[in-house]
Amino acid sequence: MVRLLSVLVSVFLLLSLLSGCWSRRELDELGIAVGIGVDKAANGYRVTTQVVSPGEIAAARPSGNRTPVTVYETTGSTIFEAIRKITTKSSREIYLAHLRVLVIGEALAKEGIHKALDHFSRDHEVRTDYFVIVAKGATASDVLKVLTPIEKIPANYLYLALDSSQKLWAPTATITLDELITDITSEGKNPALSAVRVIGKQISQTQKNVESIEPPGFLKYSGLAVFRKDKLIGWLNEKESKGYSYITNNVESTVGAIACPGGGKIAVEVIKSKTKIKGKVRNGKPNIDIVVKMEENVGEVECEIDMTKRETISELEYAAKLRVEKIIKNTIKKVQSDLKVDIFGFGEAIHRADPAAWKTLKQNWDEQFAQLDFNVNASVKIRRIGTVANSFHKEGVE
Amino acid sequence: MKDRDPFYYILQPDFVLMNRRVYKQTLVARPSYTLEIQRKEWMHMTNNHVQTEPLKDKLEDNLNKIRNELGGSDDIIIREIGFGKDRIAHAAVIYTDGLADTKLITDFILDSQTQGNHAEEIDHATDEDNLLDALKSLALNLGDHKEITDFAGLYSNLLSGNTVLLLDGFARGIAAGTQGWKGRSVSEPVAQSVVRGPQEGFTETLRTNTSMVRRKIKDPNLWLETMQIGKVTKTDVAIMYIKGIVNDKIVEEVRARLGRIDIDGILESGYIEELIQDEAYSPFPTVSNTERPDSVAAELLEGRVAILVDGTPFVLIVPTLFISFFQTAEDYYQRADISTLLRIIRFISLFIAMVGPALYIAITTFHQELLPTQLLISLAAQREGVPFPAFIEALMMEVTFEVLREAGIRMPRPIGQAVSIVGTLVIGQAAVEAGIVSASMVIVVSITAISSFVITGYSMAISIRMIRFVIMGLAAAFGIFGIVVAMIALVLHLCSLRSFGIPFMSPFAPFIPADHKDTIFRFPHWAQSTRPRLINQKNTTRELMSRPTKPEK
Repeated sequence: MVRLLSVLVSVFLLLSLLSGCWSRRELDELGIAVGIGVDKAANGYRVTTQVVSPGEIAAARPSGNRTPVTVYETTGSTIFEAIRKITTKSSREIYLAHLRVLVIGEALAKEGIHKALDHFSRDHEVRTDYFVIVAKGATASDVLKVLTPIEKIPANYLYLALDSSQKLWAPTATITLDELITDITSEGKNPALSAVRVIGKQISQTQKNVESIEPPGFLKYSGLAVFRKDKLIGWLNEKESKGYSYITNNVESTVGAIACPGGGKIAVEVIKSKTKIKGKVRNGKPNIDIVVKMEENVGEVECEIDMTKRETISELEYAAKLRVEKIIKNTIKKVQSDLKVDIFGFGEAIHRADPAAWKTLKQNWDEQFAQLDFNVNASVKIRRIGTVANSFHKEGVE
Repeated sequence: MKDRDPFYYILQPDFVLMNRRVYKQTLVARPSYTLEIQRKEWMHMTNNHVQTEPLKDKLEDNLNKIRNELGGSDDIIIREIGFGKDRIAHAAVIYTDGLADTKLITDFILDSQTQGNHAEEIDHATDEDNLLDALKSLALNLGDHKEITDFAGLYSNLLSGNTVLLLDGFARGIAAGTQGWKGRSVSEPVAQSVVRGPQEGFTETLRTNTSMVRRKIKDPNLWLETMQIGKVTKTDVAIMYIKGIVNDKIVEEVRARLGRIDIDGILESGYIEELIQDEAYSPFPTVSNTERPDSVAAELLEGRVAILVDGTPFVLIVPTLFISFFQTAEDYYQRADISTLLRIIRFISLFIAMVGPALYIAITTFHQELLPTQLLISLAAQREGVPFPAFIEALMMEVTFEVLREAGIRMPRPIGQAVSIVGTLVIGQAAVEAGIVSASMVIVVSITAISSFVITGYSMAISIRMIRFVIMGLAAAFGIFGIVVAMIALVLHLCSLRSFGIPFMSPFAPFIPADHKDTIFRFPHWAQSTRPRLINQKNTTRELMSRPTKPEK
């Protein structure tokens, strides 16, 4: 028994020595990358990596005169090479598992991104829960070099701002890598990514930027970047982007203004929105039905209207319905006429409805899409009108 | 002679040149030889006190022998008295000072012999038997009495506090029950205190302890068997069970295992525990102990056997299940819902106490991707400038804590405060500020330490403390994979254990749904309809109650 036990124990100890703590990495040996930007370079890629300097972010007494993140810029013929090259500049091994954003430079996006994405989908260390965004009118490197107020980590700012604007304002898309790849490979849908702009590029890269009460340089999401397969072909403005979110059922909450019957405006808050896309093929012609069901609250009344009456609410519901339908129609028309690329997934809806017809339609789906017939039918219910019934303007006037 | 004497070969000049076979023989022969010698010495030593020699006729001879063999110890009091008509009958009263109740002896034996009720009876007793009977009836005043015929009986009675009466001309004597010594009075149990429930704990005196259990269970079926274990100490060990509820085979097994014990002394129930447990090489205790009479009563009612040992307030309970270490007496006195919640907390604590530091090591050195980004950054910031790997850091803190805990138990009370002041320095903020450990590690070690106190069975908590270090090592070498492997091994081991034949992990493995009334959940008493099934198989109905109902209007 003792013999067996001692043999077992020694084998066990030797085994643990054999592995030699393989793949062990202490926290202070990691360079935690939170943002990566990929740009076109002369021969290959220019990769910009935003790495956290933990001591400046979480320590009880940050020194204050160092930036909370450091950006490494390297070039390589492949992404992987470029990332590994960082070790020539950095004391720590770059750790990609906590990546929050992947920024793609406009120039590279126009050329096509699928080659650049392979490393990120293949590498085991990178998780696919970060957002992919496109730098509009800038390079990815510019985007990652902006120091942001409140959030010490700019990549975190990009992540959180995108997340909250998608949840509360709607005209952005939180697309993760796996969703992007699905869209690129799908025959009936093309990707659209959120676009980010850099304002005040020169000053934004210095500590000075975050020293003033209104930072002169900042990052701002503005609409969507539209891709055909993996190539950037155009942009959607804010209103169109909101329409895109309605169609793809990505609106959680947003605010819109509707006109009062007697002049003035009313702001309504969307609290629930559900969109269903139904495709059908009639006489070889594809047709799309978009049904939107929404619930709204009244958030602001700037006109003289009696909110206590049921008829008023019905009128408002009708106006809101028209508003949403208009937004959606305008978006589809714009995409049909200008961009001629199906970013809404109508092709997929047709595929689901009539797989046989889809086989022929998909041959020239982009042309079919440009002439596609569609019906939009929204139904809006106003649930609450807030803590006051009639606006105090009205009461004061009477 | 040549083949009997093991030293023969060693003494030969050509010993070194011997062939392998013979050499082996000597190697085997030697230890058994020394064992034989030890055995003889042992017998000799113990025989010093265990004499089966019968008593002698002449009082003088008996007394001389006693004086001789007890080495004339001062605390052995021998009083020679004459009584009967004209003080002809010559007798001796022998007792151990301090163990026997002196007042009782003076009141009933020495006084009554001269002026008491029985004096005349003795006076008129003429023949031998009558005289002895008269003496017996004298001793009867004291309750318990036995007739002794040999020195073994004499010594064991004398040294356990009884008074021995010897009469000249008789090869027999009487032992009267006069036990009475200064013992610790019943006080609050130290290790198992409760907020609600009885506040009395066992003492060091066996008889007090058995009486405390009797007071809880007034049933003729509460049976008690006492035996003496320990060749030199002759410690009284009692087994207690409720006939009709207990599984007779378990009682037999307990009896057999206690009967097998051959040791010089039993000083605490821990001796017995180690000598009768099922699995000698296991970190987990398969015998539990308690110092609460109410706990013992509850266990007896479930069909378990209690082993009470004289000289210690800790009573052993067999068979013991894994779950026993997570049940406290108070669970049954509080309301059922809070007891259930507390049990869940105890299981969480078990988990934290066992794998807390290991998980911290594994996650921060192997699986950083498991942490939320913000947490990772803040942990990384804390580790900036910490010179040691997380494993060494954790090991240092854990060892420091164990040292502190040990110091807290062993040191004399008055210097306790000094140690606790220094202790908070080495394990707290000062260690962090010195840059030796990270602040998060202090938190991990602290929560681990606190969790290990939550596990109610102290002996189980000790096992968990030991296992923790092994799992930490595995986590440092293999990450979470190591922890998982350790957990699998642990569960396998736990499932292989038995306590007096009962699977240690029951009712989890084997899974017995009916017994889950009192495991993770503590059902209300009106729902605890049956006793645990494996422990007891014939008398399983505990109660015939249904949920209390509201009065009808």
